[in-house]
Amino acid sequence: MVNLTIDDKQVTVPKNTTIFDAAKAAGIRIPILCHDKKLNPFGGCRMCLVEVEQMKGRQIPACTTPVTEGMIVRTMTDEIAKARKLVLELLLLKHPVDCPVCDAAGDCDLQNLTYEYQVNSNRFTDEKFHHAIDYDNPLIERDMNRCIHCGKCARICDEIVSFGAYTFISRGIEAKMGTQFDGPLNCEFCGSCVSVCPVGALLARPFKFKARWWAMDKVKSVCSYCGTGCQLTLGVKDNKVLTTIYDENQGFHNGQLCTRGRFAYQFVNSDKRLTTPLMKKNGALVEVTWDEALNAVQQRLASAKTAGDVAGLVTPRLTNEELFVFKKLFKDGLGSENYDHSAGYAHSALSKGAVESIGVAASSAVIADIQKTGLLLVVKSDAYETHPVVGFEINLGVKRKDVDLRIISDKKGKLTKLPGAKTYLNIPGTETLLVNALAKTLVDENLVDAAAASITGFEEWKKSLDGAAPEQVAGICGLTADEIKTLARDYVKAEKALLLLPLGLGYPGHTKELAQALFNLSFAAGKHGKEGCGVLLLAEKNNSQGAVDLGLYPVAGGKDAAAIIDGCAAGSIKTLYVAGENLVVSYPNRKKVEAALDKVDFLIVQDLFLSETAALADVVLPACSFAEKEGTFTSAGKAVQKVNRAIKPVGQAKSDFEIFNTLYVNLSGKPAVADPKAAFAEITASVPAYAGLTYETLGDAGVVVVPAMTPKFAVAPGAAPTAEVGKMALVTGSALYHCGTMSLYGEGPMHVCPAGYVEIGREDAKRLTVQDDDLVTVTSAAGAVKLKVKVGSRMPEGVVFAPYHFADQSVNSIASGESVTWVTISK
Amino acid sequence: MTEPRVFFNFGITDDSHTLSAYRGRGGYQALEKALRTMQPLDVEKEVTTSGLRGRGGAGFPTGSKWSFVDKKSPVVYLCCNADEGEPGTFKDRWIFEHNSHQLVEGVLLAAYALNVRHAFIYIRGEFDLSYRRLLLALEEAREAGLVGERILGTEFSCDIIVHQGGGAYVCGEESSLLTSLEGFKGYPKNKPPFPAVKGLYQAPTVINNVETLATIPWIITHGGGAYAGIGAQNNTGTKLFGISGHVNKPGIHERPTGYPLKKIIFEDCGGILGGKALKAVIPGGSSTPVLKGFEIENVTLDAESVIKAGSMLGSGGIIVIAEGTCMVRLLQVLTRFYAHESCGQCTPCREGTAWMDKVIGRIVAGQGVKGDLERLEAVTSGIMGNTVCALGDAASMPVASFIKKFRDEFEYYIEHGRSMFDGRLEI
Repeated sequence: MVNLTIDDKQVTVPKNTTIFDAAKAAGIRIPILCHDKKLNPFGGCRMCLVEVEQMKGRQIPACTTPVTEGMIVRTMTDEIAKARKLVLELLLLKHPVDCPVCDAAGDCDLQNLTYEYQVNSNRFTDEKFHHAIDYDNPLIERDMNRCIHCGKCARICDEIVSFGAYTFISRGIEAKMGTQFDGPLNCEFCGSCVSVCPVGALLARPFKFKARWWAMDKVKSVCSYCGTGCQLTLGVKDNKVLTTIYDENQGFHNGQLCTRGRFAYQFVNSDKRLTTPLMKKNGALVEVTWDEALNAVQQRLASAKTAGDVAGLVTPRLTNEELFVFKKLFKDGLGSENYDHSAGYAHSALSKGAVESIGVAASSAVIADIQKTGLLLVVKSDAYETHPVVGFEINLGVKRKDVDLRIISDKKGKLTKLPGAKTYLNIPGTETLLVNALAKTLVDENLVDAAAASITGFEEWKKSLDGAAPEQVAGICGLTADEIKTLARDYVKAEKALLLLPLGLGYPGHTKELAQALFNLSFAAGKHGKEGCGVLLLAEKNNSQGAVDLGLYPVAGGKDAAAIIDGCAAGSIKTLYVAGENLVVSYPNRKKVEAALDKVDFLIVQDLFLSETAALADVVLPACSFAEKEGTFTSAGKAVQKVNRAIKPVGQAKSDFEIFNTLYVNLSGKPAVADPKAAFAEITASVPAYAGLTYETLGDAGVVVVPAMTPKFAVAPGAAPTAEVGKMALVTGSALYHCGTMSLYGEGPMHVCPAGYVEIGREDAKRLTVQDDDLVTVTSAAGAVKLKVKVGSRMPEGVVFAPYHFADQSVNSIASGESVTWVTISK
Repeated sequence: MTEPRVFFNFGITDDSHTLSAYRGRGGYQALEKALRTMQPLDVEKEVTTSGLRGRGGAGFPTGSKWSFVDKKSPVVYLCCNADEGEPGTFKDRWIFEHNSHQLVEGVLLAAYALNVRHAFIYIRGEFDLSYRRLLLALEEAREAGLVGERILGTEFSCDIIVHQGGGAYVCGEESSLLTSLEGFKGYPKNKPPFPAVKGLYQAPTVINNVETLATIPWIITHGGGAYAGIGAQNNTGTKLFGISGHVNKPGIHERPTGYPLKKIIFEDCGGILGGKALKAVIPGGSSTPVLKGFEIENVTLDAESVIKAGSMLGSGGIIVIAEGTCMVRLLQVLTRFYAHESCGQCTPCREGTAWMDKVIGRIVAGQGVKGDLERLEAVTSGIMGNTVCALGDAASMPVASFIKKFRDEFEYYIEHGRSMFDGRLEI
């Protein structure tokens, strides 16, 4: 610890703290324009100059200078005020001062400091710049006339996003924040640069001229896209969510968001939202009153209860409280165990894999472990695309904490490009085999942790690895035995090592067995139950982990999603209640799903939109988005976080909580769950990991719950998919800009990535004589779709990738839930 | 010539820059001596004893700079700052063109003292002959086993990597030089941390000027004490002075420190062009404050004396200005240079240098207005001491000193819209 004096205040801070941070800790504010707590100091703006007794003669930048013992700092003297004022005058020399039409007004550091330092006239004059404003992309407007050269956009893009879209080009007064060859921005459009821009040089175009900053209510919430669980601040005015506001103090990610969080909030107030209940009359859906719709649903469910032919599919996007009431409705109201979510397999790694391996349906690590580990082995480079902000954490771990990054993946990705990252490109679908071969290496080379032998199932597991040796499977996996062995040795020798596996509807190969193989590997290497170790299973949706925690899948003999669809097709399920799932587009084998839904007597769909599934319904109930309700989400990193109501329900929409609750009361005859808070109290009483939590203890920050774990070796055989001669391996997954099918209603993602595509490697593209944007037919045994081609260097030869989100030419028309779909591609 | 010479100790011929010529005059014997008979610490001690101060401009004691480095660090880098770009300075170029081997030997000696395995020479991009001569010297040295693995058959290995600059003056500032060497745009770094602690690629790094390093072989051969006996007491040795401007015989002269400034101008350089009176002298490269003619009366060429007179010895680039020269227009040459060379990283320098150049330009165009001088002074005082690197200071000092010393000329120019002096700046 270092002791120093700042403005006559005694301050004690850790070594290497900067003067700026020391002052901040002591409650002393030093003005600054070029600093963000997530970024390395830059020292460019020179607003944070202070006086240090021991360094007289120069003014010292507080943001870059580390404290030293006995330092005496003065943050404000006449000289300092003079210097700061001069800096502001110089910055305003070229700045257009067009505050009345600038969206940053009110939230602009330059404006605020100009006010604070009373720069009401400028001693200097100069011509303004006339840089052309960049309107080349739909999301980020770049007006370099307003830029003050803080470099934050370039630094965040480089340090955290690891994309590097910006750099300073030219020198001196001609220096400006430029892009590659000064061309249009062509990046991930995560908007991090917009978030940190201290002025209005970078603006979110969807928010342009929507509201003055001070006129908006700022409501803290949690992003409702992927499982990362990023905290958000919603900018709300006139019952509309108009933007997301950057708050560097929010969440583990310090306010950092991706395209979805930053630019995809528009689904909340989308024109396409359902605002009234609909019922099918004479073959067409017509608007009806809530009474009529609910009566019909209730009567139908009451008779289905008697017949025992009811089932439910629910989206893990709902709050824990809503899922809880949904489960109550089914168990107590309908006496049915037939409910599931995410097509079943998207969570089986947790609900079956983790349950058998560690006794609880959860990861054995949390997101914070990423930066604490020594070696991070990511299975599937798509972890960056399914959970972009987790990707940022990986970037930071690699760049700042020297995390040794290894990737097992069937294609290259962003993570592959990180400094020192090593990618092992495997043949798609062989991941389990490969992980078992890693474990087998430990066994064969006597590298197994001593404590592992006492874990249940060890001997049996060891025996099950016969035939899994690197030499035996290397060829099948597409790697060399040496590569596998080296990876295994590096993994076991690292002091701390973490395994990471993304889950989701696009990843049917990420099965129970793969998760178990990873858990086994972590036990065998002694990388379990310690900080920076374990297996992090990244559940796909915002509350996928919550849905699993609450047991929203058949535990006691009920039908799972696949069985429910089969049941519908076979006629044993006659009433299907779908809440928020768009299974026509997202569940495997579209043809089968459509046929099954066709056979259902009575289909109830509760959704925000008239989705492809809702269009087939007998009754459609309009539900609320996350912005319209209160409750909790549990992130993939097991953070239970509070969602706050930002706006009133859109139209006549009702929250899922209210709808389920009404049906529950009427069908069970039991009293209603009073409100989400009461539901949460019941949850904490029934889910052991949540014990003791209340809304109050969650606060704004949320609480990471750590369930008790009991490791157990589970035999997890792997099998290679049988290759079909002359065909290419189609792997499906998530596109960087999308999550599930909800992001299709977000302006941001749809601007950047409006339709499905098939990504093909350069060699294959040459062979097929196709180029970017060519329309090709991708044909599998199940069917054919026409997709645009995207040629890139990410795909190995013989492997193609297609994201699953899109309804038109949907990938589930050709993919049936196997880890690999064998396809032919023709023009 | 009685006093010792570190540089001007041989006659320049067509092949005097080659290895054989250098060896013929005793070259690489200092390296032999150091590697065979001295411990690395002994080399450092000799340099400390010699009192050698950095020749790049700041004049920091070299031995002291070396002592800050943790030689036990797994990696220590040495960078030779050969990005000689200060207007009025051209001494390093002479060393490269005529005696690159002396620099190479100096680099090796420093590398030996500092436990450096890889040394870098960051050479100004505009230097062409220098660059070729340096590469030639390195090639010869490598072939002769003087650079690379197991030098002279000893345990000591050191590679020298030459990197050409991209044409930015700011890269002569040591931390920008490192940034540039690392492959980034040449932005200076905020200090601390200092390069001796975290420099190139985050490793402890020593950055020395060409002349500084090229002096070391002499020190090792003759001993630090012998060097300390030359020149002024607190600024020992000989130094290369580059005299340019209105003198009859401009050029490079090696003189012991403490040599009278007047003598070098009027005797060694043959006096002022056309027999005119001396108006002013910029004593240490364009960024040092200007001295009026009468102010140099008793100035000697050592750090203390020049500081006492109100300027700095800097790099030893002496710019001589004859009576009749318009100081306003002369200043414009300098402000244009610094505005062009500001890297743009920090506000005061980026905005300030450009604005100063604009205003000086306006004055020169006859459109100066009352208050311009006060505003210029306000900007210079706001830049000085408040920027990331010394470029801001370098750009402000000439402006501040020109206005201070020749205010009447500026006021005349603003008032009348034209210069006090007819004719053009004769150089």
